[in-house]
Amino acid sequence: MVEKISFTINGQLRVVEVDPEMMLIDVIREILNLTGTKRGCDNATCGTCTVVINGKATKSCNTPVSKVAGAEILTVEGLAKGKELHPIQKSISESGAIQCGFCTPGIVMELYGLLENKPDASELEISNSLNKHLCRCTGYEPIKDGALMAQKLIQDRNKH
Amino acid sequence: MNYKYIGKSYIRPDAINKVTGKAQYLDDIRLPGMLHAAILRPEYAHARIISIDTSEAEKMPGVVKVVTGKECKLHYGDNIKDIVPMADEKVRYIGEPVAAVVADTTLNSQKALEKIKVVYEPLPVYIDARDSMREDAVLIHEENGDYWHLPTLKPQPGTNVANLYHLKKGKGKDGFSEADVVVEGDFLYPFGSCSAIEPHGSIVWFKEDNTIEAWSSSICPFIIRQDLAHSYGLPESDVRVHIPDIGGCFGYKSDITVEQTVAYIASFVPGYPVKWVASRKEDFTSTLLGHGIRMIMKIGAKKDGKLVAMESKVLHSGGAYADTAVNVTIAATHNCTGPYEFDHCDLTGYTVYTNTPPVGAYRGYGHQEAQFATERLMEILARKLGMDSFELREMNYLCEGKVNSLGELMWKTNGDMKACAKKVQNLVFSKESLHEDENFYYGRGFAALMKSPKGAPFSTKGCYIKMNIDGSISINMGGAEVGQGLRTIVQQIAGEALQIPPERIRVYNDIDTQYSPYEWQTIGSMFTTQGGRAIIRAADKLIMVLKQTAAQVLKTDVDYLDYDGEYVFLKNDPSIRVAVPELSRGYITSDGITIGEVAQSVSDARLPRYSNPDHNGQGSLGVEYTFGAQAAEIRIEKKSGKIFVDHFASTFDVGQVINPMQIRGSVMGGVLMAIGATLYEKVEFDQDGKITNPHLFKYHLPTYKEAPQQTVDFIENPGTVGPFGARGIGEHPVIGPAPAILNAIYDAIGIDFFEIPITPEILKQALANKQQKEYA
Repeated sequence: MVEKISFTINGQLRVVEVDPEMMLIDVIREILNLTGTKRGCDNATCGTCTVVINGKATKSCNTPVSKVAGAEILTVEGLAKGKELHPIQKSISESGAIQCGFCTPGIVMELYGLLENKPDASELEISNSLNKHLCRCTGYEPIKDGALMAQKLIQDRNKH
Repeated sequence: MNYKYIGKSYIRPDAINKVTGKAQYLDDIRLPGMLHAAILRPEYAHARIISIDTSEAEKMPGVVKVVTGKECKLHYGDNIKDIVPMADEKVRYIGEPVAAVVADTTLNSQKALEKIKVVYEPLPVYIDARDSMREDAVLIHEENGDYWHLPTLKPQPGTNVANLYHLKKGKGKDGFSEADVVVEGDFLYPFGSCSAIEPHGSIVWFKEDNTIEAWSSSICPFIIRQDLAHSYGLPESDVRVHIPDIGGCFGYKSDITVEQTVAYIASFVPGYPVKWVASRKEDFTSTLLGHGIRMIMKIGAKKDGKLVAMESKVLHSGGAYADTAVNVTIAATHNCTGPYEFDHCDLTGYTVYTNTPPVGAYRGYGHQEAQFATERLMEILARKLGMDSFELREMNYLCEGKVNSLGELMWKTNGDMKACAKKVQNLVFSKESLHEDENFYYGRGFAALMKSPKGAPFSTKGCYIKMNIDGSISINMGGAEVGQGLRTIVQQIAGEALQIPPERIRVYNDIDTQYSPYEWQTIGSMFTTQGGRAIIRAADKLIMVLKQTAAQVLKTDVDYLDYDGEYVFLKNDPSIRVAVPELSRGYITSDGITIGEVAQSVSDARLPRYSNPDHNGQGSLGVEYTFGAQAAEIRIEKKSGKIFVDHFASTFDVGQVINPMQIRGSVMGGVLMAIGATLYEKVEFDQDGKITNPHLFKYHLPTYKEAPQQTVDFIENPGTVGPFGARGIGEHPVIGPAPAILNAIYDAIGIDFFEIPITPEILKQALANKQQKEYA
């Protein structure tokens, strides 16, 4: 059974003809060829497949595509404006938070979902968000540093 | 020393690609006409295959080919050629490839896989080396001893022992006659998984022109090339292996693992690239596991604390194929003395076949498993001697003039163990210890450590440097970037060596065996050391090429010239000079006649005089050492038995810090990984050999909230091998956490543990047993 499903992804309207039970990650990676969204596990544990749907960070590996009909989706490819990185991307790339980089897209999107909605999020809220993601490389401290740097950049940006 | 570019935190050149989602990992590669494979795994961990019926699967939608291992006679491996790409008559572990479907999509290949029917005749299953070593045990490999193997290995035909390694130093066991006090213990570092967030995967393409092209999430493209060429009767030059970005390795993407299976499958559909990417479950069941090492260790000392003798037996449950485990066992065996001198050693390592996935490299490579025992026993020995454990350790540390188990004499340039220990002692043990309160017990524990690379005599790393027309630099090497940040290190070392700013140096992105300089494999925390030395050698050659051309231009002799990155100039009159970019493609004179060579150079470096073991199991098998010390401050919740690591301190003598931000990240990540092994992570098997927790929600990796506050510090006592005195650090941080935390547990509650992980249930049970004993 194939259905026509339309949504906006990274600002572009897309229409796909797929089995509505297909998971969003497969549509994003295999049909739309947006390979920045990663798969790291079989059952929504590692968090690297996280994208932002209608402003909310959501795991794409257990979200059926039928759920995103009409939604606005943002993936890691949609954050930078040309060569200008989003404050979260800038901070994460400078804080030492990147080693292998495989968990990075999910963490960037998680922080986007949190900090763009709630620039004054508490440290506990930040740690609750980051606790949904597995990183095997860094020991997490540089990711926390990057998140706090990003929060400051977003707050400063919002003042202007 | 004052350096221009060394010792500064440059941002990694791959950071932007990774943070924008543009880095290309194996599963992101799309090729024209690409097909997708799914692989069938057995229902039994040890069984004969009676029959395989693929007829229903062949009729499924999208299916191009169904492949079985029937009559597959290929055997491969780098140390012992005991591995098969797909089971033929017998399966030996639960994740072994039995059959495969190649289809147009991954989903179709998976659906068809369910239609394959296999009949098995089960055989006895052995999970632990002690069981498969029993005299009446069924042989997992009847062929043990017949497989090709490195001449230094000693398989034991007619048994399940794939290799026996023995080391004798001094009087060996007889050395215990000099001991006043003896302590011993039986320690277990159980099976674990490296669990990089990116699972393994490969693409292999048998082309119509009789060449093979492959892509893999691997750190050993040249071994894959050699192995595939050998298996399919091609010259190595006709096998081309690409390595894209790698989403973490931690050991298990070294050696040859999944590539031969994907190649075998792809060989049935020539003309089509075939992709296979492991599910997380398959990453546990069907790639490499780590550890599985039981250490039975005995230490003898004089009354005053001087260590005299060590006897160790390493029982390594090496898995169903031993190719990747043998060197881990050997490393665990000769490194089990830790950072101490023993006059007499009798050390035996058994690599034993078991019906578990093959064990291979896991960050630390035998060191953490072995020194877990050593550092626990040192604590127990101090108690028995009534000595301060810091004092006991300090009087026995390997240092200038001491001799390690391998017979290697230690030099000042090997690093300063004492200084590392002192720093950590001051950081953690100089404050008042916390006393038990209503909710918690508190404890502190220490561990000293050392690590050698465990390389191979031919483990070289190559480097090619090209100066471009504008004087910028392109560097090509064969080292795999797995996250450790080697591209930044290459930029900085080359910048320093060439006196050219790192921003003007572009480092290679991916590895391609057709263009990349040869590298054995990127293992053993050796890239900075050996790769860095190769860069310095190539840079020296490049500077010489520039000087030779400049000597003609300036009408003088090479040794009268100097170089500063911008100019080659006359030493006695720097105003007589030529700009470096003008020399890059030779020097073009005013009449167009060009003189001199293009500015490019190639070099390589390996460890100096690295050798095979001699008849005593000794020799130059370590060569390069890094010493370090670590300590944990923990809290045990009385109600739950949960252990919280509040603070973890590490100090290593790394010779020279190249990039402070990156090295700190390497240490913190390594520490957390080993905290995972100590408190949470264990690959569990049921009695039938099935893995019961092959998912990340069951096999718990440490999360953000479980990460301790860390103090990371370094001693810089330069070495002689690495560039600017730098030594290896990638694996070392995983060695100390288990013994440091278990020593802290003893400090907190007076209970000795000999096995990890220490889960809340285990801890609560031990506390209850202790209380029962005390009241009895």
